[in-house]
Amino acid sequence: MTAELGFGVFAFLLVGFPALRVVTSRDLVRTVLWLAVTLLGTAVLFALLHAPFLAGVQVLTYVGGVVTLMVFGVMVTHKHDGTTVAIDGANRVRGALAALAFFGVVAFAIVRTDLSSLTPVETPSTQDLAMALLDRYLIAFEVASVLLLAAIISAVVLARRRDPLPEGAEPADGARLQEGSVP
Amino acid sequence: MNPSVTLALVTLAAPLAAALLSVVIPPIRHRGAPAAMLTLLGSLLATGAAGLLVMEDLAGRAIRATVPWMVVQGRPLGQVGVRLDAVSIPMLLVVCLVALGVQIYSVAYMHDEKRRSYGRYFAYHALFLFSMNLLVLAPDLLQAFAGWELVGLVSYLLIGFHFDRPSAARAAVKAFWMTKLADMGFLFALLVLYARTGAFSWDVALRPEVAEATAGLIFLAVMGKSAQFPLHVWLPDAMEGPTPVSALLHAATMVAAGVFLVVRADPLFAQAHWVQGGMLWVGTITAVFTALLGLVQTDIKRVLAYSTCSQLGFMVAALGAGSAFAGYFHLGTHAFFKALLFLGAGSVIHAVHSNEMKDMGGLARRMPLTAVTFGLGALSLAGIPPLAGFASKDVILTALEGKAGWIPWALLLATAFLTAFYMGRVLVLTFLGKPSPAAAHAHESPAAMTVPLVALGIPTVAAGFLGPWLARGLGGEMHLHLGLTPVLASLAGLGGLLLSLATYLRGREAPLAATVAALDRASLVDRAWAFGYHSVLLPVSGLLRWVDRYLVDGLMNGLGWGTLETGQAMRPVQTGRTRDYALAVVVGALVLMVLGAWP
Amino acid sequence: MTLRALLLVATALFSIGIYGLLTRRQAVALLLSIEVMANAANLVFVVFARYGGAPGHPLVLFALAITVAEVAVGLALVLVLYRRHGDTLLELASEAKG
Repeated sequence: MTAELGFGVFAFLLVGFPALRVVTSRDLVRTVLWLAVTLLGTAVLFALLHAPFLAGVQVLTYVGGVVTLMVFGVMVTHKHDGTTVAIDGANRVRGALAALAFFGVVAFAIVRTDLSSLTPVETPSTQDLAMALLDRYLIAFEVASVLLLAAIISAVVLARRRDPLPEGAEPADGARLQEGSVP
Repeated sequence: MNPSVTLALVTLAAPLAAALLSVVIPPIRHRGAPAAMLTLLGSLLATGAAGLLVMEDLAGRAIRATVPWMVVQGRPLGQVGVRLDAVSIPMLLVVCLVALGVQIYSVAYMHDEKRRSYGRYFAYHALFLFSMNLLVLAPDLLQAFAGWELVGLVSYLLIGFHFDRPSAARAAVKAFWMTKLADMGFLFALLVLYARTGAFSWDVALRPEVAEATAGLIFLAVMGKSAQFPLHVWLPDAMEGPTPVSALLHAATMVAAGVFLVVRADPLFAQAHWVQGGMLWVGTITAVFTALLGLVQTDIKRVLAYSTCSQLGFMVAALGAGSAFAGYFHLGTHAFFKALLFLGAGSVIHAVHSNEMKDMGGLARRMPLTAVTFGLGALSLAGIPPLAGFASKDVILTALEGKAGWIPWALLLATAFLTAFYMGRVLVLTFLGKPSPAAAHAHESPAAMTVPLVALGIPTVAAGFLGPWLARGLGGEMHLHLGLTPVLASLAGLGGLLLSLATYLRGREAPLAATVAALDRASLVDRAWAFGYHSVLLPVSGLLRWVDRYLVDGLMNGLGWGTLETGQAMRPVQTGRTRDYALAVVVGALVLMVLGAWP
Repeated sequence: MTLRALLLVATALFSIGIYGLLTRRQAVALLLSIEVMANAANLVFVVFARYGGAPGHPLVLFALAITVAEVAVGLALVLVLYRRHGDTLLELASEAKG
């Protein structure tokens, strides 16, 4: 019991608290940074769960790639005057209710299920993982590649400008639709 | 296929084809003449086929060729096809012959119509011949009902042929709803039969009360179709239709369909003694009452219309006395001489441009053919031996001997007298005496009209001699005998005729005629029906219309309105806000999880 | 580190992500919340790979790829949103309002 409790605190510090900051932070940049912490914490958990390769991938992809992307996104779109937007009050209540309800239901299921038959087993090594990717899951692997390609293409198409803006000009505000800016 | 069956099918297919072509290919009927030619061709083929069938002389045998109709749960609902026997074949010939004659006559009579109307007229005629044959050849009561309703429809269409005339339109509606009301009896009879026997045949043995109910219900329809008291009032009004139509439908064939039906379903009616008793009296009362009314009419067609009612009463009374043969025989002879009389009247009307007998007079000299043939018809109707009318009337009176204390016999004998009397009046007013101004310039009608007159004259005279043949076919026999009845009948006819000539040639009027005329003008029966129509039928119709419009339609419209309103009410759900949709997803997922994992 | 505790942690993470999904007004912040949720799911896979031998590792990799793709496209959409309205508040994208 105490072991669980201890683990609970540990996990909270590792991933729970950062995640809470992600969803509550008023400053967008801080939110992104807290996400980075959350992801790092998850990587630690992966490592503790005998999945070192995944931990490494997690750090590389998420922390390195995704978070970087997010920062860029924030830079391009955010008003840097420091103003923040309040989180909607009414929504907070129902959001919390829904989240709690979800947690309640699933936690209930977890607690009630007899998990004693599941014991720690040896996790696959990196080599095993590589073999599996190119053997059993080859098609999924290829499809994932195609998916990534599609994502790249769609992102490019969605984000491109039709006509170049004059130097230093502000982008259009909400009232006017700039011709060609929306594909 | 049996050649006889093929011939029977020709009598159905030829007119139907003519009618269908005229309907489906508008130019045929818009140009007029093509429709007429098609109809005539169809009738010619049908008549030829009917003639061949007669010559085959089935003599007691019956040929039945049917196909099952509407198979439900393995069993057919009824049979469709033809039944050829000594009942259907003679009627078939009569119908086709008279129809052919009337149609040839119509070529000249309807000559002045616009081409479109002309074509429409002949299209209707083709449809009529098909429908009537459908009825005559019916193998069971279901098909008979179909033919029955169809001829009713064509009657409506043809009575109101000149639909731009309000009186014609009203007469058509009146005929239609009165006969349809009576037809409910037929419908209910079909239901009873099916419930009891699972089929629609008349050749079944039924429990007495079922037989009485069925026969009674059918007779209700017969009263409507064959214009028996008190449902006779539509027939005089039906004279609004063109005269050839009056000749064919409302004298020779359609109105006789009721009589034919009873003859056809004789095995059924023979089990219903109470109904037969009722028929005896209804027929007798009709015969007397309408004969009296015919005496005071000024419109020549109305005289003949009431006369038709009266003669139909004779037939019905004979059927009520149990002699199907007597009714059938008179049906046949009546078809010929009444058609002849109507066509002759049409000839006269065509010449003087009026239906009123006061516009006629002295036409014997100016229209000899018409006069002679009409005279023959009148004599036959009056029952002067040895003409056809006498033979069949005599058979009827003989059949009535001793029934119901001789009262119907006596009444009908008196009616025979009246018949001769009113026909004498018509002869005098129309053909004898001094011509009226309108008649002064009359001339004989064209050949297309006079040839059918002459042609119909032959059976008018001679058809009586076919009686024994017909009787044998029906399983009985007829022979001439010298007895009380034929002598009295002859005397009644002759006496009535002579007395009538004596009265009207001298410009006098019959006794009590003024009273009867007053009764006729009071038209109590007509008023009673009109009251029923306006006070009962129309309000009920109005109520049903309200139900249809506000409840039935209202329900439908309400459903549509409700759907739209619900859609509108649900629009706020689509807030357009992403967060709301996300919430919906989460809640939905939760619900699914709970439901899926529910023990 | 019992299995149950781990699963509860993952569930808590996911729930936190849900709270963020339903609450945040900024588009980028929403995406970040979704990242948290995806992360929690990956955690579950890894946990069961350890306890019970379920082949979760390849699945984690694929989930990762999919998430990355989603982020890319999502950010492109955020860019479009920004260009249209000058800001990235979600309530600006309300054309689906019925």
